[in-house]
Amino acid sequence: MTIRTIWVGCAAVFLAASTQLQAASLHEEIDRLIAAKAGMTPLAPACDDATFLRRAYFDFAGRVPRLEETQKFLADAAPDKRTKLIDELLAGPEYPRRMEELFHVVFMERRGDNPEWSKFLRASFEANKPWDQLTREIIHPVADDANKRGAAFFHTRRLEKSGQETTDYPGLTRDIGRLFMGVDLQCAQCHDHLFISDYKQIDFQGLLTVFANTSIKGGDFPAIAEKPAATKLEFASVFKDVKQTTGPRIPFGTEFDVPPATGSAVALVAAALPAPDNRLFVQNAVNRLWFVMMGRGIIHPLDLQHADNPPSHPELLALLSREFVAQKFDIKWLLRELALSATYARSTEVASGEPPPVELFAIGIERRLSAEQLLRSMLIATGDPAETKDETKLVAALTALRPKALKAFANPPKEPEDAYNTTVQEALTLLNDEAFQKLFEVKAASLTERLAKIEDPNQLAEELYLTILVRRPTEEERAEVGKFLTQFVAEAAGKQKVDAVRYLAWALVASTEFSINH
Amino acid sequence: MSRHPLCIPHEHSFSRRQFLGGVGASAAAAAAMGTFGGLVQPAVAEDLKKREKQVIFIWLDGGMSQLESWDPKPHTEFGGPFRAIPTSVPDIKVCELLRHTAKQMHHIAVVRSACTQDNSHSAGVARIQRGDPKNRGVDYPFFGGAVAKLLGPCPGGLPPYMWVKPGSGGFIHQDGGFLGAKYGSLALGDGKPPESLLLPPSITATEDTLRNDFRSKLNARYAAKHRKANSEANSYVYDVARELSRRSDLFDETKVSDRDRDRYGRHDLGRHMLLGRRLLESGVRFVKVNSYGWDSHGDNFNASQSLIGKFDQSFAALLEDLSERGMLDHTLVIALSEFGRTPRINSHVGRDHWPEAWSIAMAGCGIKRGIAVGATSERGDVVATEPYDIGHFFHTWFRALGIDPGLEEYDNHGQPLPIAHDGMGPIKDVLA
Repeated sequence: MTIRTIWVGCAAVFLAASTQLQAASLHEEIDRLIAAKAGMTPLAPACDDATFLRRAYFDFAGRVPRLEETQKFLADAAPDKRTKLIDELLAGPEYPRRMEELFHVVFMERRGDNPEWSKFLRASFEANKPWDQLTREIIHPVADDANKRGAAFFHTRRLEKSGQETTDYPGLTRDIGRLFMGVDLQCAQCHDHLFISDYKQIDFQGLLTVFANTSIKGGDFPAIAEKPAATKLEFASVFKDVKQTTGPRIPFGTEFDVPPATGSAVALVAAALPAPDNRLFVQNAVNRLWFVMMGRGIIHPLDLQHADNPPSHPELLALLSREFVAQKFDIKWLLRELALSATYARSTEVASGEPPPVELFAIGIERRLSAEQLLRSMLIATGDPAETKDETKLVAALTALRPKALKAFANPPKEPEDAYNTTVQEALTLLNDEAFQKLFEVKAASLTERLAKIEDPNQLAEELYLTILVRRPTEEERAEVGKFLTQFVAEAAGKQKVDAVRYLAWALVASTEFSINH
Repeated sequence: MSRHPLCIPHEHSFSRRQFLGGVGASAAAAAAMGTFGGLVQPAVAEDLKKREKQVIFIWLDGGMSQLESWDPKPHTEFGGPFRAIPTSVPDIKVCELLRHTAKQMHHIAVVRSACTQDNSHSAGVARIQRGDPKNRGVDYPFFGGAVAKLLGPCPGGLPPYMWVKPGSGGFIHQDGGFLGAKYGSLALGDGKPPESLLLPPSITATEDTLRNDFRSKLNARYAAKHRKANSEANSYVYDVARELSRRSDLFDETKVSDRDRDRYGRHDLGRHMLLGRRLLESGVRFVKVNSYGWDSHGDNFNASQSLIGKFDQSFAALLEDLSERGMLDHTLVIALSEFGRTPRINSHVGRDHWPEAWSIAMAGCGIKRGIAVGATSERGDVVATEPYDIGHFFHTWFRALGIDPGLEEYDNHGQPLPIAHDGMGPIKDVLA
C-alpha cells in the first residue's frame, strides 16, 4: 500500500474514529497494545520510585530532582503518587522552559539561538498551544505579534548564506518535510526516490516551489518575505530528461493553484499541511512525542515514514493519531497519557541474557540527555540550593557554562539529537576543564561542603547518591564510599576528607548513569 | 527495506557528532582490554612493527606543480627554469627543488600519469580525498575515515584518525562521511591538542587515578544491568580522552631534539610532519598532515621554490626516519594535492589548476620501492601512458594495506557500498 492509496481513505478513518475512547483510557490502551505485540517476550517491571522520579523530572522539568524533592517523593506512601507527580510537573513553572529547550533542539538542530525564537517557543508551551497551531505559526510566521514573530527564526537561520554557497532552499524544504511530516525527501530532490517508492520528485519540488520564493527580511527580529509565485516550477529527473512542472503543493497532496500575484503560497502550505486529514502530519506529531517519552519512534527513524518502513505498532500509531486529533492536538494531554502508561514506567534494566528487540518496548529504553538537561542538573546537584533556586543566579551560571557545555554535550549543527552520543570532548571537558572542576569546590552550602560535614560515611554516601544519582546507594556502594574516604586520605599526599568528597561527587557526575535518562 | 546502491536510506541517522563514540566492536574491545595499559610507547611500537599497518597522508591543499617536483621537463616549452637532478635511483630524475627527497628516491614510487577530473578547489578536496566513488548521493568518507573504519584503531588507545593542520583544530566529523562521526578526525590545529587535554594543576595524578577508578566501578555496575552500547561508548571516550592526556608529551615540542627540528624544518610543514611521525610512533592508525596555500596562479617559480622546498625538507626527513626505524614496512606514505598545475605558464608567471596530467608519490607498506610509473607527453601537458584517476589510487592504497576492495564493502544501514570506485582497479605496477 502506498501513501497515496492510504491517503484517500484517511479522512474518513479519522472522522469515523474521532470519538473519545469509551472503555479504557489511552494509557491503558497503549499498554494493552504493547503487551499484545510483545507476546511471549516478558515485559520489564516498573522501575522503582526513585528512577521514576528522575525520569519524570528530566522529561517535564529538564533537570534532576533536588534532594528534598527526592526525599519527599520517596517518603510519600500514597498509592497514586506517580500520577500526582506527573500532574504537578505538567502544571509546574518548569514545564514550558523544558519544552522550549526540547523543541529548540528538535526544530533548530543546534543551528544557533535567538531570543525571539525562544520567546515564541516559551509562550507556545506556556499556553499549551496545540501542535497544529504551533506548526502553522512556524511554517507561516507572522510579523505583527511579538509572541509569535520569533517563529520566523526557523526560516531565517536556514536561509542565511554560508560563505559563497547559494541559499539552501532545498535544505529548508527538506526540513519542513522531515520535521513536520516525518518524511525525508532529500533524495527526491533530484529524482524520484529510488527505493522508497512513495517519495516522488514532485513531492519535493512542489514544496520547494513555495519556499524558494522566500527570503530573509532584515529588521530587529527574524522575519521572512515572500515573492509571489507567478509561474510553475520546471524540473527534470537527473536520470531521465523529461521535463515536468509543478505549482505549490505539500508532499503527497494535490497541487494548489498558483496563487495570484498577491497571494501567499506559504499561507496555503500552512493551512493544508498541519491539518487533521494530513495523516503523515498527525503521525509525525505523535511519533515524535512518543519518541521523546519512550526513546524510540513507533516509526523509526522519525523522518522515514513510508510504506517499506512500517510502524512497529500500527494499531497503536493509529490510535494515538486518532486520539490526538480528537483532543485537538493537545500536546500536554498526550504527554500526560504517555507518562501514565506502564510502558513509560518500565525499567531499563536487562533481566538476564540478551535484551529483547528494542522496538518491542518490552523493557525501558535509555534516553539521551540534552546539553541543557545535563548542565542544569550538574549545577543543581552540586550547588548551594539557595543559589540554584534563585532563577536569576541559576541562569547566569548556566549562561556562563553554556558554550562549553554545547561543545561537550551537544551535536554539531544540523544533526538531530536522536540517540545517545558521547564524545572524547565530553570526556575531556569533564575530566579536565577547570570551570567544570569548580562545580565540586567546597564553598558555602555547596554539595561538597555539606557532605564533608557528615561524620558517618554511610550517611554521607546516602546524601551523595540521592543528590547526584537520585537513588540510594547499595550496600556495596556504601562500603565503597567508606573505603574511598580512607584510601584517599592515605594515598593522596596532604589531602583531606573534603578533597575525597570532591572526587566522589565528580565520579558520580562523570558516570554513565548520570549521563543517561534511564 | 529494498536495497539500491544509488541512494541512501537515512543518512541523517548517522549522527556525525559521535566522534569515536559509537564504539565499533573492535575499538571497544581494544579499549576494554586495556592491553597496553600505560606502557604505550615501547609495547605499542614493538607490536606495530610486527603487524599493524599505518598511514601518513600528506595533503598539499591546492596543487603542487608536477613540473617543479616529480615530473620535470627542463628545456621544453613549459619546463620552467629549474633543472632535473639525478636521484638515488638510476634513471629517475626529479626537479632540483626536491634535492633532499632525491636522496630518498629508493623508497619512493611516483606515478606520473595521474589524470583526475575536477579542477576547482571546492570539488577537488573532497573528490580526491574520497577517492571519487560514483555519485550515489552519499558523502563518502575521506581516506582517513575509510582506513579508520576498515582497520580500526591501533592498540594503545589513541584515536585511529588524527589530522595535523595549520589553523584551528577540533573534531572534524565530516571526514567520516556516511560512516558517521566516529570515523571523523581529531584535528590538532597547528599541532596543538584538543581543548581541556591536560589535567588541571590542582589535580594530581594519584587523585586522578583514584577518582577514575571510582567512576569505573560505578560504570561497571551500571553496565552490568543495562544494554551494552551506551556504557561501552561512555567508557571508550573516557579511555581515549585519558590516553590523549597521558600522551600530552606528543604536543610538547620541547620534547623534540633540535636536530630533528632542523632536519624537518622549523616552518609549519616541518613541525607538523615531525608531529606526524611522532603520532605514528605512538600508534595512531592514520595521520593526515596538511599544508595550505599551494596555489601559485602567479609567480609560480618563486612560490614553488618556497613551498616545495619546505615539503622536500620535511618529506625527506620523514622517509629517512621511517626507514631507519623499520617503520616503512608497515607504514604507507602518500603525498598528493588536489591536482597538478598547468604546463602552460600564464601571463602572471603562474601555473593554474591542471588535473589532466600530474604526479602522486607514495612509499612504504605494500608499495614497490624506487620506481616511476607512467609518463606524460614531452611537453608534460597530457598523460602519454595509461591514465590513472584517483579511484585507481584508492584501489592501490587499499591493496597495499591488505584490504581487498573486491571483497570488502561498506554496509550503509543495509545498503552495500563499494569502498573504492567500482569501475576502476589498482595500479599494479606500484604494488609490491
